[in-house]
Amino acid sequence: MAIRYCTRCVYPSSSAVPLQFDENGVCSGCRVAAQKHKIDWDQRAEWLKELADEYRVRDGSNYDCIIPVSGGKDSWFQTYYVKEVLGLNPLLVTYNGNNYLEVGLRNLKRMREVFGVDHIFFTPSPQTLIKLNRLCLKKMGDMNWHAHCGIFTYPVQVAVQYKIPLIVWGEHGFLDLGGMFSLSDMIEMTAKFRLEHAQRGFDWFDMLDDKNPGMEEGLQPNELLWARYPSDEELEDAEIRGIYLGNFVNWDANKQTDLIVEKYGFEVSPEPFDRTYRRMSNLDDMHENGMHDYLKFIKFGYGRASDHVCKDIRSGKLTREEGIELVRQYDHVKSRDLLRWLEYVNMSEDEFDRIADTFRDPRVWEKNEDGEWVKENIWGGKSAYPVPKLTGSNIDWSHLQKQPIPG
Amino acid sequence: MLKKRLIPCLFLKNGFLVRSEKFEYHQLLGNAIHQVERFNAWEVDELIYIDITSDDVYDIRRDDLKVKSEDNILTILEAVSKTCFMPLTFGGRIRSIQDIHDRVSRGADKVTVNTQAILDPGFITEASKIFGSQAIIVSIDVKSTKQEEYEVFYNHGKTATGLHPVEWAREAEKRGAGEIFLNSIDRDGSAEGYDIELVRQVSDAVRIPVIACGGVGQFKHFSQGIVDGNADAVAAGNIFHFTELSTKRARKELIKSGVDVRN
Repeated sequence: MAIRYCTRCVYPSSSAVPLQFDENGVCSGCRVAAQKHKIDWDQRAEWLKELADEYRVRDGSNYDCIIPVSGGKDSWFQTYYVKEVLGLNPLLVTYNGNNYLEVGLRNLKRMREVFGVDHIFFTPSPQTLIKLNRLCLKKMGDMNWHAHCGIFTYPVQVAVQYKIPLIVWGEHGFLDLGGMFSLSDMIEMTAKFRLEHAQRGFDWFDMLDDKNPGMEEGLQPNELLWARYPSDEELEDAEIRGIYLGNFVNWDANKQTDLIVEKYGFEVSPEPFDRTYRRMSNLDDMHENGMHDYLKFIKFGYGRASDHVCKDIRSGKLTREEGIELVRQYDHVKSRDLLRWLEYVNMSEDEFDRIADTFRDPRVWEKNEDGEWVKENIWGGKSAYPVPKLTGSNIDWSHLQKQPIPG
Repeated sequence: MLKKRLIPCLFLKNGFLVRSEKFEYHQLLGNAIHQVERFNAWEVDELIYIDITSDDVYDIRRDDLKVKSEDNILTILEAVSKTCFMPLTFGGRIRSIQDIHDRVSRGADKVTVNTQAILDPGFITEASKIFGSQAIIVSIDVKSTKQEEYEVFYNHGKTATGLHPVEWAREAEKRGAGEIFLNSIDRDGSAEGYDIELVRQVSDAVRIPVIACGGVGQFKHFSQGIVDGNADAVAAGNIFHFTELSTKRARKELIKSGVDVRN
């Protein structure tokens, strides 16, 4: 089946977020973005105020809600909105996957001070993380499974433990990017979303040796306690409810970043990323915009720059032509954080490339007579994408080496 | 008096579960399996699973997931059956007795028949003789015409029949259908609630159970289908995907409205 592209944004039909195309070739993500103009956002803000009042702990005996935060732009905006606009007293909860950029960590640590809020910072043992990084690259072509699991699991555990029923998430990524639902659905966070979409169907027990012949890392159940989602009974007893702020606020990442930069001093990345032009996204995890995302290109033939371009086309910041240029420039780049990752988990680049190739999607990739991988381009025609080697070159990756111990 | 039933409905298109609007626009919600696991855990009364694929393509477009992409509906059904411990109705694209055999032998307790029943009403009789009436649900999709008359449509809601749903439901009952699954194309995905008039007309016209579907946007709509529409069972597609523990919350709401459902 040939890859098709949305006629409005740049998403391919091979997108990791499943897209539907309408009779005009417009993808479901663009259709949801268009829906934003028709929504009465004042009414939504009113609904949110009512909801906040319902959850406000008037006697001060507990926190009013939990905000899962990475310290990124969305975290800052969520905290600003919850604390300053709604007047709630949130508990911030962070899963630290040990991949912070320095600037990202600085942003995270400053949140407590800037907003005057309490903050739980949780880090699994680095040994466990290294094993998960290695295993999950081999198992599903993504070293960052642990991060997706931790982000969607640990804050919910805290909510159950502390009996804080309301969790305020930011945007629903699949709704925003891919138009998985409609904005009228008022989607809430579910265990199904965590397992199927954030974690590709793999749960903590899928990481144990008996499920992974030939890839055993010796992971033990007690290393993965943070990765166990609460049971339905626990969720029901604590009346846990995870709402998405994106259903109540007309989400515009660029405008929101301007707000938190100007008003609160959020720092965007001083260094450009290798794989995208945005400097405000994914500062909490150098591989999320880096090799995790490069693997998306290896699998499905597109990358983070496409994601960002789609968002920026939909919000009117870019034209489709400008967007396609950025896709051409960034989507295929093998990024420097690979060198950090290889050292971190002790793997050679050849082995990494060999594993990555096993995940090339046959719907996207074919080999030419020279043995190079070839795929179709959004700007027309096919190109070969030879895989460069970064090891042994004089590439500077010093900005990724400093990993300060979080305080 | 039998207890009233609450039934989630999963619509499968090209291998993806979908959110549906007016039978025309479908947003992709995920693969065939994970949502079934959730409904299982929430102990729903039964599950209706309908394949609305119109070509022969089944592909979830990626191979890096725990659930593998299957390229035909029968292997998908096998995987669903392994996961599903509640009574399972499996419908869509059934054209022959062999199609029903293929589904029943892979774990379906009942099937829905729609287009084939319209094309050949004798098929209902033949199928219910072989599999028993209880296993044959006639699925009826209804749209309002320009004259504001209800009319039965088939072929994914695209082709008009000239039949009134009341007339067709009676005929289906006479020919051996065990239940009627009644869906409103106009209300599909609208979140406005059931077309109560339609549900009541059909429910009052037949003795066999009528399952109402189409339009639920809030949990309180379910009790309206039973209390005002006289339906024996209330079903919905989209809404159960939107929140955690959705069927449990819907059942609580039904109990609160005084509807006799299983606790």
